[in-house]
Amino acid sequence: MTNFPEHIDPSVLRGLLSPRITRRAALQAGAIAGAASLILPASAEAAVGDSAWWASKNKTGVLNFANWPYYIDTYNGKHPTLDNLKTTQGITTTYSEVIEDNPTFYQQIRPALQSGDPTGYDIIVMTDNSVGLRYLLNNNYLIPLDDSQLSKFKANASAAAKKVYTDSGKRIVPWQSGMTTLAYNKSKVTTNKTSLKMAFDTSRSNVAKLRNRVGMLSDPIELGNLALLAIGKNPATSTPTDWQAAATKLREQRDSGLVKQYYGNDIINELKQGNLWVGQVYSGDVFQARIGGNKNLVLMNATEGVLLWTDNMCIPKGAEHPRDAMIAIDYFYDPAVAAVLAYYVNYMTPVPGAKAKMLAPTKGWQATTMANLLKDIEVKASVIASAPEVFPTSTYKLKSYYAFKTQGEIDTWNEKFAGIPTGS
Amino acid sequence: MTTTTSKSPRLGRLTPYLLGLPAIVWLAVFFVVPLVLMLAKALQECNPATGVCTMSWNFASLSDAWSSSSTIIFRSLGYALAATVIDLVLSFPIAYWIAFYAGRRKNFFLMMLLVPFFVSFVIRTVIWKFLLSSDGLIIHTLQNLHLVSSDYQILGTTFAVVAGLAYNFLPFTALPLYVSLERLNPALLEASHDLYAGRITTFRKIVLPLCAPGIFAAFLLTFIPAFGDYVNQQVLGGFTNTMVGTVIQNLFLVSNDFPGGSALSAIVMGISLIGILAYGRLLGSKSIGDFV
Repeated sequence: MTNFPEHIDPSVLRGLLSPRITRRAALQAGAIAGAASLILPASAEAAVGDSAWWASKNKTGVLNFANWPYYIDTYNGKHPTLDNLKTTQGITTTYSEVIEDNPTFYQQIRPALQSGDPTGYDIIVMTDNSVGLRYLLNNNYLIPLDDSQLSKFKANASAAAKKVYTDSGKRIVPWQSGMTTLAYNKSKVTTNKTSLKMAFDTSRSNVAKLRNRVGMLSDPIELGNLALLAIGKNPATSTPTDWQAAATKLREQRDSGLVKQYYGNDIINELKQGNLWVGQVYSGDVFQARIGGNKNLVLMNATEGVLLWTDNMCIPKGAEHPRDAMIAIDYFYDPAVAAVLAYYVNYMTPVPGAKAKMLAPTKGWQATTMANLLKDIEVKASVIASAPEVFPTSTYKLKSYYAFKTQGEIDTWNEKFAGIPTGS
Repeated sequence: MTTTTSKSPRLGRLTPYLLGLPAIVWLAVFFVVPLVLMLAKALQECNPATGVCTMSWNFASLSDAWSSSSTIIFRSLGYALAATVIDLVLSFPIAYWIAFYAGRRKNFFLMMLLVPFFVSFVIRTVIWKFLLSSDGLIIHTLQNLHLVSSDYQILGTTFAVVAGLAYNFLPFTALPLYVSLERLNPALLEASHDLYAGRITTFRKIVLPLCAPGIFAAFLLTFIPAFGDYVNQQVLGGFTNTMVGTVIQNLFLVSNDFPGGSALSAIVMGISLIGILAYGRLLGSKSIGDFV
């Protein structure tokens, strides 16, 4: 068993985060001007992030961190890992849970990035499968990280996490990862327990059993990629023809009467309440639901594969405290810190050594913090360390999402999948 | 039109326009300019990665938006109409009773009408979701009483969406109706009775015609926001009852298709304007001077 997946399918990370078209290839291909803006880094900004630029940046003791809701350890209204960052590094963090979804957040910070103004954040967390992170990378809106400041990362990060860093041009490092697949209520569903057919089989018998009991995510990226797996295609290498087939499958699924509704993050509540028996879910949500008392909820290890996504820390251009951001990024790769974080948020950590630290905390801050968190979440570290949702076994066939190469592909994808949750 | 004799005739003519200037500036800055920008965006081509838009005079975006969403637009019109009619039927007796029978407690009853609406629109709707969910208070009770089947559900249905719209926009109907009824001279009702008109005839010949502007205003104030609403549908509805507001929201926030979202918004705005123009034509004042 490993932590952040060392056993990952090579297709998962192959070029997922690296710009798919280099400057030279784009020019050779005679890429049109519109596509160029999506692909080419701005040469005028080349100095930002190089060693001389980093040498001119000093620690200020201030950090503005933008993250998703409920995505950091919390105890008595405080965040122990951030408090420890202040104690050990002298950096005071203003932590904002302002990221609700990737495209919206990108559009919120885009005007500042375009005009060269600060976004107000020194670290932001963006998902690898999103167009938001792709736009940030392709438009050169992220500061290359200071390689010399990543000693803990180099010592403790998984091979997969290091590959993410390298493939992104050293501009992002993983925060946490997770899987998207189906979850089901084992007291209600007894067939197709290891296949996505559970939610996609439109035969009369399956529809009779699960009518209006299946929920899917409304996000077209999630919806389309899972449907590609369901029709036997690898999303990473899929083509627009495959997308059409997947969209047709989703419409069949919807129109057969299986699907009750398309949801956002609240789908887990519908599963917990028993309104849904099968749902497309994020792995961490299922684990939290299970330890919260919903013992019948099971995360499916589908034979067709399970989608893997990674949320990544990055420093947006114009960040006012980049040195502090670098120190914080490296700090989260301390196994003791990573253990506390994973223990609380229940997603996959990019630090393999976190598991051992979770089971045998270092005396002092980590042991005290984990003891405090135990009072709050009431789940022993050993339970979390053995959970497949947090530390998946090698039996999980992890698959990557399709990585868009052009704006045209994004538009085509949206044309195929965005209308499905609205009934069109 | 009345004018004061102490002012020059020219100043007198200008007075209503000068008085209306702040409102005109407000409308220009916060309504006309955004409207023009939105219409312009509908005709542009945009790169969501950079936010750069170029004018391509792409009028096809309007026809594309109509052809891809006409069914949803008509559905939204139907839902908004249903909710508005429900609100008119519910509000009229309430407003009538408060206006004519509440006496000194008018303000108290008006306040009671409005108290639920001190809570945020979204929170109210989410609370309805809890109430109407399969394991919520209402359905659970009905199931325990064996009045509905075990798989009976309200959430996700057209009924839930229309009921949510009707609930959330009730004050927009009730208040204009109340104001209209409040201004009605009770002596006219007495005169009608004195002339041997029955209650129904008095209502039909006196109350209804005199309240027509209020009814129409209530209709518009309810119908237009209900038509463009997306919260009720998203919280209480399902994919079979998608409303146009949800599609616009998705175009902007999910697909980052700003021209497509703007084109559909322009169509919705156009339909709404037809209603407003009809109001102005049928029941509105002929000139600003009428108000002076």
